[in-house]
Amino acid sequence: MLHACVYATILLGFFGIIFKENLVMKIIAMDVMSTGAIALFVLVAARTGVRTPIVGILPEEGYADPVPQAVILTAIVIGFSIQALMLVGVMKLARDNPTLETRAIEEEYRS
Amino acid sequence: MTDTTIFWVALPFFVGFTVYLLPQTARLLTLAVALASLVYAGALFVQPEPLDLRLLDSFGVTLLADQLSAYFILTNALVTAAVILYCWDTGKTAFFYAQTVILHGSINATFVCADFISLYVALEVIGIAAFLLIAYPRQDRTLWVALRYLFISNTAMLFYLVGAVLVYQTHQSFAFTGLRGAPTEAVVLIVLGLLVKGGVFVSGLWLPLTHAEAESPVSALMSGVLVKAGVFPLVRFALLVEELDPLLRLFGVATAVLGVVYALVETDAKRVLALSTVSQVGWVMAAPPVAGVYALAHGLVKGALFLTVGNLPSRNLAVLQQRPMATSLWLPLTVGSLAIAGCPLFLGFGAKALTLEYVLPWQGSILGLAALGTAVIYAKFMVLPHQHDEKFVASPGLWTALAVLLGSLILANVVYLEAYTGPKLLTALATIGGGLAIHQLLVKRVKFVLPRALEDFEHLIGGMSLTLVVLFWMVWSWLAI
Repeated sequence: MLHACVYATILLGFFGIIFKENLVMKIIAMDVMSTGAIALFVLVAARTGVRTPIVGILPEEGYADPVPQAVILTAIVIGFSIQALMLVGVMKLARDNPTLETRAIEEEYRS
Repeated sequence: MTDTTIFWVALPFFVGFTVYLLPQTARLLTLAVALASLVYAGALFVQPEPLDLRLLDSFGVTLLADQLSAYFILTNALVTAAVILYCWDTGKTAFFYAQTVILHGSINATFVCADFISLYVALEVIGIAAFLLIAYPRQDRTLWVALRYLFISNTAMLFYLVGAVLVYQTHQSFAFTGLRGAPTEAVVLIVLGLLVKGGVFVSGLWLPLTHAEAESPVSALMSGVLVKAGVFPLVRFALLVEELDPLLRLFGVATAVLGVVYALVETDAKRVLALSTVSQVGWVMAAPPVAGVYALAHGLVKGALFLTVGNLPSRNLAVLQQRPMATSLWLPLTVGSLAIAGCPLFLGFGAKALTLEYVLPWQGSILGLAALGTAVIYAKFMVLPHQHDEKFVASPGLWTALAVLLGSLILANVVYLEAYTGPKLLTALATIGGGLAIHQLLVKRVKFVLPRALEDFEHLIGGMSLTLVVLFWMVWSWLAI
């Protein structure tokens, strides 16, 4: 069930990237997609249990796998820095293209 | 060697941040990093055993450095050095050099890493650094091109990330070897991400616009080494997990043909070069065991060609037909064109011969045609009119950069001297001659324009989903993985 929700999030994000006309909406859709990917990592980590794996407090059983969690932390940081970078770019583009419709921008800048 | 490797991987990033603090040392430090990579590549060549590093434990970072990596690192070092020499007197700010050195470092990292997460981080850093480099002139147009690039590459990397976690789920490890036995969807998602990043087949159609619109030094970096950061992991997969080998060969041949077809009807000089990069990437993938040699040959030539074309008075080939260029520019342009078309004396000849030796019979004939196509494309540059022009003075940076690139291209012949046999020499010369003849008799007279719709932003993203479906079908029904 959870798996289905996660994959649905990824897919919906991807469809958003394709079908939304506005550049800002596309970026938000990409964020939705990356939220889905992050959720998948968390879900995979929780396969063995959901207890926090901290040294010192030894749980009797069923603690979460720390590796995907550690890894996805890096990916989250990278993800948001890219989003921030893109939004800055979009802000600058918005001065000349107030509607921010990708199709219009694409046509304007074609040689 | 272990310590050296770690130091060498970390050095560019360290230098990248130092450059901000000490802007006046930017050029020297960046060049020094490129030279360090050159020395490291040399050390890898003479090393008898591949270096296999596991940092921390099985969950940590895995590095694998062997001869194949050495070729790619050598390409990166030489092209970066040439680009820095080219930019030496152009008044670029420390920001530009900092991004260049970070790009250099992250590309190096992709050439030695052997686990999915290190690769992911390296590829994303490449994306950001390349975005900043393309957007460096800060015009709206270049900004849009850069934004487009970042968007497409980041979407592809999200697919890749999903694939990576699925591999982890199966094997509890992120090592490349985990592809064997991984679920079909994991393989498909990872391969898709890398195909987009490497500019392969229809997923690579973002490449012509991006490479053509960037400044020439940035184009040289992108075409010369950046695309190889996407292709190298694929080649590595094919060597580690043989089941993927047929997939790579098929995509390689398809890409080689697609790029040539597009480039044949193109009239913009920089777009011709960019499209030819698509085709050459296919050549690199067509024979995984010898991919390194071809990557080296292509990186050096494409760097030289982009830097030269950046100095031409116009990008339009029709305009160049009317207005003769300076002979001193025409010479390097022709030498580069000959080299990429596989003329003896240059590594391009040896690399083509070596690749053709390692391909399967069905690939050989198609690639032969693609080679002829390449010769036709580059005949476009060779036949351009030129005259002696005393007023024309190119920056000294151009000549040093060209000396580095074309000089290495001749020196690197030692890699495969066995190629110099009668039949092979004859074939190479016949291909170039045939290319010139076909261009003069046919291509020059036919005006035909291919629609550029596939290169639209929306269609690129849509193409990604179609490639996903096709890949899934291929991996599921055809490969025994």
